[in-house]
Amino acid sequence: MSTIQDWAHALMNPSPVGLIIAILIALTIPIFLHTVVFKASGLTTLPSILLLSPSGSGKTSLLTLFERGTPASTHTSQTPLAVECSLPVGTTASSDKYRSTHDPTSLTHKKFLLIDTPGHGKLRHHAQSSITNPQNLKGLIFLVDSATLSAGDEGLRQTADYLHNILLMLQKRSTGSKAAKALKDIPVLIAANKMDLFTALPAALVKSSLEAEITKVREARSKGLLDSGIGMEDEGEENDDWLGEMGSKEFRFKQMEEFDVSVEVLGGNVCGEEPKVDRWWQWIAERL
Amino acid sequence: MLDSFEILTTSGVVLWSKTYAPTSPSIINSLITSVFIEERTLPGAGVADDISAANNPPYKYDQHTCKWTTVKELGLIFVAVYRSLLHLSWIDKLVDNIKIIFVELYGDQLRKPHTTIVKCAFDDYFDQQIRQLEKTALNRDTKVAESTALRAEAPASVTQDFGNEPPPLPGILSRGASKNNYKDLTSNESTPIATPDTSRPSTPASHLLTGKGGPGGKGSRRARKAANTPTAYASSGDELQSKRDKASKPAVAKKGRKWDADGLADEDSDTPLDYSAPANGATSGEDEIKERPGAMKEIDQSSWGWKNEKGEFFLKDLDDQVDSILASATAKKTDTVTSSTGIVGSSISAIGGYFRSIVGGKTLTKEDLEKPMKAMEDHLLRKNVAREAAIRLCEGVERELIGVKTENFESIQTRIESAMESSLQKMLTPTSSHDLVLEINAIKKQRPYVISIVGVNGVGKSTNLSKICFFLLQRNFKVLVVACDTFRSGAVEQLAVHVRNLKELTAREGTGKVELYQKGYGKDAANVAKDAVTFGAQEGYDVVLIDTAGRRHNDQRLMSSLEKFANFAKPDKILMVGEALVGTDSVAQARNFNAAFGNGRSLDGFIISKCDTVGDMVGTLVSMVHATNVPVLFVGTGQHYNDLRGLSVQWALKKLMSSN
Repeated sequence: MSTIQDWAHALMNPSPVGLIIAILIALTIPIFLHTVVFKASGLTTLPSILLLSPSGSGKTSLLTLFERGTPASTHTSQTPLAVECSLPVGTTASSDKYRSTHDPTSLTHKKFLLIDTPGHGKLRHHAQSSITNPQNLKGLIFLVDSATLSAGDEGLRQTADYLHNILLMLQKRSTGSKAAKALKDIPVLIAANKMDLFTALPAALVKSSLEAEITKVREARSKGLLDSGIGMEDEGEENDDWLGEMGSKEFRFKQMEEFDVSVEVLGGNVCGEEPKVDRWWQWIAERL
Repeated sequence: MLDSFEILTTSGVVLWSKTYAPTSPSIINSLITSVFIEERTLPGAGVADDISAANNPPYKYDQHTCKWTTVKELGLIFVAVYRSLLHLSWIDKLVDNIKIIFVELYGDQLRKPHTTIVKCAFDDYFDQQIRQLEKTALNRDTKVAESTALRAEAPASVTQDFGNEPPPLPGILSRGASKNNYKDLTSNESTPIATPDTSRPSTPASHLLTGKGGPGGKGSRRARKAANTPTAYASSGDELQSKRDKASKPAVAKKGRKWDADGLADEDSDTPLDYSAPANGATSGEDEIKERPGAMKEIDQSSWGWKNEKGEFFLKDLDDQVDSILASATAKKTDTVTSSTGIVGSSISAIGGYFRSIVGGKTLTKEDLEKPMKAMEDHLLRKNVAREAAIRLCEGVERELIGVKTENFESIQTRIESAMESSLQKMLTPTSSHDLVLEINAIKKQRPYVISIVGVNGVGKSTNLSKICFFLLQRNFKVLVVACDTFRSGAVEQLAVHVRNLKELTAREGTGKVELYQKGYGKDAANVAKDAVTFGAQEGYDVVLIDTAGRRHNDQRLMSSLEKFANFAKPDKILMVGEALVGTDSVAQARNFNAAFGNGRSLDGFIISKCDTVGDMVGTLVSMVHATNVPVLFVGTGQHYNDLRGLSVQWALKKLMSSN
């Protein structure tokens, strides 16, 4: 009996050791929770730019160029890759437009994530999933190899096909459900790469040949077979897969503006004597 | 010789590369696409881990051979490219060693998110490995010849060729005289650096040298004997060396004892790498010991002393580092093997493992995966996936998952499901999009687009042909249907009925034009097809559709005629019809038909017919694509002319993964 009482006494007594432990616990728990919770939630996500294109257009080269200043040698990608880049000296992000030049925050370069995606046909779902649920996505850069875009080329067909699918995804995103309306528009830059090559087409020609080819793809798609998923379970579902203005003869990138997708075509080159990517930097800066 | 060696990430950035001869980047690109992305060699190979380069099948492309290995966790690929003509026995070892060293040195940098920059000064390490492995390889080759040569002149060269002698040899020498010599020599030999005396015997010229060096060798023995008495060094003439040796002397004398047993015991293994491990553990940081024998030789054998003038000492440090890395890697490997023993440890880890399997963050092992993988295999079999394909798919997924940590609150089951789904998606998605209308339009007006349809009996070749014909007619093409089934009675008439129906339909809708081309029975199908294509070209048809006789895929006599057929008709697309009802046989069917058209020609696509009759069990799709890597172009979904669909991968996945 007495022992129990002793125990109870010892427990209830305001002993200094007990107090210290209690205080320590009281102080450490919030600190501990703070570190755990904040580590888990992570920092605010950086604005990101997505790189897309068929295999072999120079996405990974561009990525390394933007990151290091010089392009590294690359091979076919299998996994997506996100890299933190900062705008070069001399370009200001549009969000910093109204800052004074003496503002200390403008001294630190604006940072963003550049996301490279594999361009191989089997691995394009990586790119598509990052468009359907984007994290602070500010723009798409669709690289094209301007040296393989002459009329009747297989490269042109593949490129136009992929571009068509991407634009269609963006279009569906804006015309889709009401929840999607809240999403911000995603501008697209068609970066005509490999301008240093002799056979490369100039940017204006890249634009027109892509438009012409997309017109063909669009037409073929409308005539093509339905996918196996459609019409077997639910017959009546209407599937609107027409890219751009309904009933238009020719596809123009301008038609995409109706769906809040602005498309620009700018030339440049990653490899070669000296990389010319200033205009692409400028484009990125305007979107950040 | 090696042409190039590259270390790259799965995201495509080359981290480090060394090129000896200019090689086209397309070699490695094609390795990546065909082995890793399209998985032509074995499924899951792209992410297979902990497999040495020897176990990975070498990839041959355009006179070059690639040896490769991967690190799954870091997403690294190590590729060595060399000419296929060469036989490099050490290449596997090189790739493996480089992998271990690179991961150890730069693993931290590689784990950093959001960057591709890895600062590496890897050249020295690589060169060291190359040198070392080349030498051991050469040594091994010449060892037999060398040892016989040695026996003849054993007394003369015994001190120099120590490394190559079998361990009992030291007994020949008198004990008292050379106890310390052994010590020095063995300590020298046990460092796997290419010490001059291991490299020397590789050429015939050096044999001569050995002969000449006879007296020198004797002299060196004397010198070594003298090493016990410090005064002897003065007579050797090199003040600096003797000083250094003197300085290091006490340490050597003590340490050396331990060395004896170790070094000698390891002497007989012919790969220096392996016996380096214990040696380094014993003498970490004792560089003087290693320097000393080298220095001794400098005095003794002035004939090849230039070899170890400068680079030697620099190399030693590098070698030590490399060896300790390799040794720790092997130690780690043995650790993981042994650590699973012990009752307390295992029970704790079992509890932890059970907890983790619910909460997530568990590192998957083969044992964890065994049961759920079996369940997944059964699930696939229930979906009518052929057993062979199901097993290989599961193996691929298992290889991909071993060593992977599960996400928070993710069970093993869901992890496997998602992995299986993504690997199925990767498989079913075609490499490039096939739009028939676009392709026909591309060559319209130049020549007709020729499509031929093959398959076993009764799968619905003619039915699907007429479905495709209807689809093309609706797109306003001029289609010529060719009856090349000149064998089965009634086949031509059957096709004629289809064509008559289609004609009526097109007349009603006013689109397209269709004709039948037939030559009756008994003719050679290949000739009929050829004539039909010429006829189609003359008459300005857009598409020529060729129906063939059904044939059993394991009948060599029937299948052999397909090669001639492909040569004569030169179809733009050869489509094979496979029915969704078929089970295990689908793999063999697809494989045999794919191989039947001779070199350089294979199937272009599958039509999976009768998909409406199987419900969710669309496993045939998977089996056929899996066996051949040929995409599914069409899916037949009903009895009507318009019941032809393109394949939606999502639809197929949903059906395959649904449980019931």
